[in-house]
Amino acid sequence: MSSSEKIALAARMHVLLRRKTGRVTDTEWMASNAEYAAEIVRFSHDYAATENHPDLAELADKLSCLMLPPPQSRPTYKKPDLIPVSQGLIRYVKGLR
Amino acid sequence: MRLLNVKQRPQPPRIACCRVDFSRPWRVETCPTQATHVSNFGVSLLYKVVRLISLFTVLMNVHFGSTAQGLTPTHPTLAAQSSINSADTAWVLTSTALVLLMTLPGIALFYGGMIRRKNVINTLASVVAIAALVTLLWFAVGYSLAFTPGNLWLGGTDRLWFAGLDYLKDSGQVAVSHIAPNLPESVFAMFQLSFAIITAALIVGAVVERMLFSALLWFIGLWSVLVYAPIAHWVWEPGGWLAQMGVLDFAGGSVVHINAGVTGLVCAYVLGPRKGYGLEPFQPFNLGLTMVGAGLLWVGWFGFNAGSALAADGRAGLAMAVTQIAAAAGAFFWMLGEWVVRGRPSLLGLCSGLVAGLVAITPAAGFVTPRSALLIGAVAGLACYWGTTGLKRLLNADDSLDVFGVHGIGGIVGSLLTGVLANKSISGMPSSLTAQLTGVAIVVIYSGLMSALLMWLTRVWTGLRVDDASEQTGLDISLHREQLGT
Repeated sequence: MSSSEKIALAARMHVLLRRKTGRVTDTEWMASNAEYAAEIVRFSHDYAATENHPDLAELADKLSCLMLPPPQSRPTYKKPDLIPVSQGLIRYVKGLR
Repeated sequence: MRLLNVKQRPQPPRIACCRVDFSRPWRVETCPTQATHVSNFGVSLLYKVVRLISLFTVLMNVHFGSTAQGLTPTHPTLAAQSSINSADTAWVLTSTALVLLMTLPGIALFYGGMIRRKNVINTLASVVAIAALVTLLWFAVGYSLAFTPGNLWLGGTDRLWFAGLDYLKDSGQVAVSHIAPNLPESVFAMFQLSFAIITAALIVGAVVERMLFSALLWFIGLWSVLVYAPIAHWVWEPGGWLAQMGVLDFAGGSVVHINAGVTGLVCAYVLGPRKGYGLEPFQPFNLGLTMVGAGLLWVGWFGFNAGSALAADGRAGLAMAVTQIAAAAGAFFWMLGEWVVRGRPSLLGLCSGLVAGLVAITPAAGFVTPRSALLIGAVAGLACYWGTTGLKRLLNADDSLDVFGVHGIGGIVGSLLTGVLANKSISGMPSSLTAQLTGVAIVVIYSGLMSALLMWLTRVWTGLRVDDASEQTGLDISLHREQLGT
C-alpha cells in the first residue's frame, strides 16, 4: 500500500483512539515507524478487549497488516543451504545431494 | 699390445681389383688368380646369409608360433583359432555390450534426469557424440598406445588403425593380445573401447549447462589420447610402470573413476560456476530417468567387473557377486547417512549410493571376498555422501553432477581398500597399500595436470563457455536448436 494510504489509516486510528481512550497519537510517526505502530496496535487490542470495542480491534488489525512484517516461517529442513521457495521447492541449491 | 710392423702384419686378401658378383659370390670371372680369396669370401658371405635366414626363422617362429608351442606371448600375435576359448569369448562379447549399455543410455539417462530441463538434450547429445568420437580415436591410435608393448610409459604403434587385428579363415589363424590370448584381439580391443568410452562420458557430468559443445569434443578427443591411453597403459599393460610396481586395479578404479573424477573437478574449476549457482535451486528434470539410468549402470556393471576377468570362470563369478554386494551396501549406507543428516531418504541418494558402491568395488572386484565387498560398499556409500556434500562445499567447485564426489572419492576409497583387503589366495599376487597409494597419487597428479593443460589449450583454440544469454536460455536451444516435448 502507498504511503498516503498508510497515513489515511493512521489518521483513522488517531481519531478512534482520541474518541475512545482520550489518547493523542502522532499520525505521521505511526505511518512510518514500525515500532511505534506495533505499540499502538498492542494498546488498541488491549483496550478493545477490556472495554469491548470491536471496531478498535478491527482497525488495529488493519494497521498491523500494513505496518508490521509477517512472521518468519521456520524452515522444515536442517541444512542451512536449503532455502524455502514459494513453490515448495526447498532443495537443489548449491548441490543436488 | 705390441704393434706389429708392416712386414709382420698378416696381409688381407686383395680382392679390390675384382668385381664381385654378389648374386653368385662363389664365382668371380675377372680375377682367376684371386679365386681362392673370392671363394673364401663367398663362403663367408653365404654363412652370414644362412645365419640371417636362421635368425629370421627363429624370430618368425617366436612371433607366430609361440602360442601353439605353449610359450606366453609378450606382444600381440597370430594364433591358431583352435586356441581361442569360445566360452570366454562369448562372455567378453556380452560384457562389451553391457558396458556400452552403461554409457548408451545408462550414463545419458542418469545425467539427463538430474540436469535442468533446458539442458537435457545437450547432455544426451554430449554423451552420444563422445561415444562416437572416442570410438574413432580408439580405432585410430588409442588402442595401440594403451595396449601394445612399447615402453614403461606408452604403447607402440603396432595396432594403429587396428592394423593386424586379423581373422584369417584360410590359414585358421586369428590375432590375439598377449594380455588375453584366450580371446580374439578384436574382442579384447572392443571391450577396452567400451571402457574408454564410459570414462570420457563420465566427465560430462562436471561440465554440463555451460560448456561449448565444440570445446567439449576437442577436449575429450585430446584427453582420450593423451590422458586415458597412457594411464591405461601404465596400469593394465604388463609392461606399464604402475603394473610393474604392483598396483592392483581389476576393472578401472584408477584408470576410469579416479581419472574421470579428477578431470571433472579440474574442468569444473577452470569453467567456473554456473550462473545462479548457490543462489537458486537447480531443479532436476526427472529423477525417474536418473533411476532408470542407475538401473542400467547397476546391471551393466556386471560386464564392467565380471567381464574384466576376461574369462567365463570362477573369478568372473566372484567379481559378479562382490559387485552386487557392494552396490547394495553403497545404496543402503548412503541412504542411512542421508536419513540421519537430512531427516529423510531420497531416490537420488539411493541411486547415488549404489553407484558409489559400484565405483569402489571396481578396482577390487577380482581380488576380495564377499565380506570385504560389504565393507567396501558401506565405506564408499558414506564417504561419497560426504564427498558430494561437505567436501563439495569445502572444494567450492561447481561440479554439476558430482563426478568427483562419486567417482573420484569412490575410486580413491576402493583403490586404497584394495591394498588393505585384497586376498592373495584370490588374486594370486601380493597387495600393498603403499603401491596403491602411489598409484592413486600418480593418477591424480597426471590426470589433474594434463586436464588443466588441455582445458587451457581448448580455451585458446575454441573458448570454453557459452555466453550468458545462451546459458540463461538453455543449451538445448542455444547450441542445438532442439527442445524437449511440451
